[in-house]
Amino acid sequence: MKKISILLLLCAIFPISEKVLAFCGFYVAQAGVNLFNESSQVIIVKDGTKMTVTMANDYKGDAKDFAMVVPVPVVLQKDDIRVKENYLFERFSAYSAPRLTEYYDENPCYPREMEERSLKVSATEKPSATKAGGSTGKKDLGVKVEAQYQVGEYDILILSANESSGLETWLTQNGYKIPAGAKEVLEPYIKAKLKFFVVKVDLKKQTELGYSYLRPIQIAYKSANYMLPIRLGMANSKGVQDLVIYTITKQGRTETTNYRTVRMSTDTDIPTFVKSIFGEFYKAAFQKKWLKEGKNAVFLEYAWDISTNNSMKCDPCASPPVSNNELIEAGVDWLNNEPNRLFFTRLHVRYDRDHFPQDLAFQETPNKERFQCRYVLHQPARGGLDCEAGKKYQQERLQRQAKELANLYELTGWNTNPQFETYRKAIEGVEVSSVEKSRLLPVKDPNPFRLSAERKMLTKDSTSKIVVASKDSTSQTAVASDSNSQVAENDTNTQETANTETPKTEAASSSTSWFTIIGTLIAAFLGTLAAGFLLRKKS
Amino acid sequence: MWIFVFIDLLNTNSYNMPQIKTFSLPQNIFSDARHFQLIALSSFLLYGYFLLDWKTDIFKYITLIFTALVTQMIAVYWVKGDYSSWKSAFISALGLCLLFKTDSLWICVLGAVLTIGSKFILRYKGKHIFNPTNFGIIITILLTNEAYISPGQWGNNLIFIGFLSLLGVQILLKVSRIETGLVFLGAFLLMEFARNILWLGWDFDFFIHQFTSGTLLLFSFFMITDPVTTPSNRTVRMIWAVFVAVLTYILLHFYFVNGAAVWALFFCSFLTPILDRFCKGDLFHWHADLRR
Repeated sequence: MKKISILLLLCAIFPISEKVLAFCGFYVAQAGVNLFNESSQVIIVKDGTKMTVTMANDYKGDAKDFAMVVPVPVVLQKDDIRVKENYLFERFSAYSAPRLTEYYDENPCYPREMEERSLKVSATEKPSATKAGGSTGKKDLGVKVEAQYQVGEYDILILSANESSGLETWLTQNGYKIPAGAKEVLEPYIKAKLKFFVVKVDLKKQTELGYSYLRPIQIAYKSANYMLPIRLGMANSKGVQDLVIYTITKQGRTETTNYRTVRMSTDTDIPTFVKSIFGEFYKAAFQKKWLKEGKNAVFLEYAWDISTNNSMKCDPCASPPVSNNELIEAGVDWLNNEPNRLFFTRLHVRYDRDHFPQDLAFQETPNKERFQCRYVLHQPARGGLDCEAGKKYQQERLQRQAKELANLYELTGWNTNPQFETYRKAIEGVEVSSVEKSRLLPVKDPNPFRLSAERKMLTKDSTSKIVVASKDSTSQTAVASDSNSQVAENDTNTQETANTETPKTEAASSSTSWFTIIGTLIAAFLGTLAAGFLLRKKS
Repeated sequence: MWIFVFIDLLNTNSYNMPQIKTFSLPQNIFSDARHFQLIALSSFLLYGYFLLDWKTDIFKYITLIFTALVTQMIAVYWVKGDYSSWKSAFISALGLCLLFKTDSLWICVLGAVLTIGSKFILRYKGKHIFNPTNFGIIITILLTNEAYISPGQWGNNLIFIGFLSLLGVQILLKVSRIETGLVFLGAFLLMEFARNILWLGWDFDFFIHQFTSGTLLLFSFFMITDPVTTPSNRTVRMIWAVFVAVLTYILLHFYFVNGAAVWALFFCSFLTPILDRFCKGDLFHWHADLRR
């Protein structure tokens, strides 16, 4: 009897585990936050009105010039301010990063056990912080130092002010370098009676503690307003900035209420050569999606129930799931009481002044649907394929590869990449539908409208890359270094076309053109309808 | 040229066409404002489905519409009412599709049943007390805590906003509730302008961003202006709209409520029967034009 039950147990386990493996594919690469320049990261833990916000950003200058000003709703107590370690962000980012999974086709002629595959993990992020720095002082400028603390290597001031020019003067007098244009942005926060959390580095203390980088700062406060101020950060940056927000909430997904929250593309089959350039691929895919959505959307990259209710913490896991200790570090204090209420959301915002006039306002929704940004590779079967099934498989594989290539073009707009060309030539003899074929041929495109829209997209893509590169060339990290040169080549090729285009036309993406056409048609139709209706009524 | 073709189409009688029923359809279409509403709301749903990445919610939409129609049919059979009222049910269901969010199909069923049920149960002197969609959304949120309103889902696409406003104004003119929509929008706009631009000193695009929100406009043109649930007297209606705007403002800025306008309308709906009692007005009929 015992034997039978063990046997039954084994039967029960085997099919399940095999299915899970086959379903998951194998995690091979991830696109870390470090791919994006000017990228800050924030972890928000929300428990009703209690917020714990941990901030890190990629400040690359001298620590003595560093200062950060954050509007906060209340005067923070010393216990509400903590300094955290970078690994917290590394872990959060690695766990939720966009991922690449790999499947191996089975040889239909010689079915055998699955190949051995390796699990590569490459996660590196360097969080730190913003702005320019100084010291303290006093003068009647309507500025009040509500509190002053020393936490870790940071000197912290909590200020309240009556008017923005007073605050600006005060900060300047005390050695903080305030960027031009900050005054206008400070004003609304002062009027709304917000306090200012001002941070600078105590260099002595920093050397004493032995840190060579800026550690993330965590603040905790109570407020019913679930938001993140981003407007102040735009004062000292003209270009676009990337911000990745991780939220841990009790109910479900976090979404923005004053901007659209759009899901990133996911579960798409892409060509196998992307494996070595996955970082670059995701960058391009994000850029294209960002343009397509009109540059004013917030992108959902990950949403998962990580509570004890859900045994599957990721599928497949880009890295081991975030541990309880890390959650506690981030500010989750309900693990013992309500371990079954934990929801992880990762949002990615690329913002600039023109497209984000308001701070980000969030809401915690009861939506517990999982989401992950995942791309899929299918490695072709190896060995002889001379049997009947093998021939059929080959035909199907070629068609699938053509589709993968079309997907890649659709996602990234890459069609001048040399690797893309090689791959295309390899599968050129395949029967594909006319639509897919037109996508594969980059130059002789039968649809001039789409081509021009795509061209604009491509040129825009390359210009922003150039700008970014001039700001900081060192952070152009990719999963594989050999592919970088090709991408760089690609950039210079398109640079010439970018220069000839006026900046205004670049802004038009294909979706906007479609909107214009559809909108005009509908407006014409409605106008006609209205006129017809009125005339009829009169007669 | 288009215009002439269209007028000809409208005056189908001038053609010597065989008297088949389908050809008299255009006249019916324009005599009932609900047809306009149906067209408008469906086109918004299609816009969201194709251009705003709502494709994963398709089963929820089907569930909402199906449940609403079935509930309506059952209720009509029960009270031996008019079967043509399926149009109203369809409009309410479309309203739910556009404003109501949840991740469970059962909650969708509940929402749709509550929406349609309120039309038959919560009545006072021939009028519904609540806008059915509004009631369905709020009560489902309160009962289950599994539903929500997503104010950001429409984005700020100007062409869509223009399209929405154009259709909205058309319908409001048809049901003569234009003043309610405009007074609500105007009052809310004024308060927001005073707060954000005059007092806080944000840039003008801050304000523009707020007023190009699809959810707010959809609410102003299609929910608060529901002719069956607004007060009957015109002046009273305008004061009532101001009241809704003030409540929206308070809920938004002092209590940080998401979808504040929908909540405000829910609370103000209680006022309608009281206001109607003191200030008489014409009772609205969908087929008013035909009767005349």
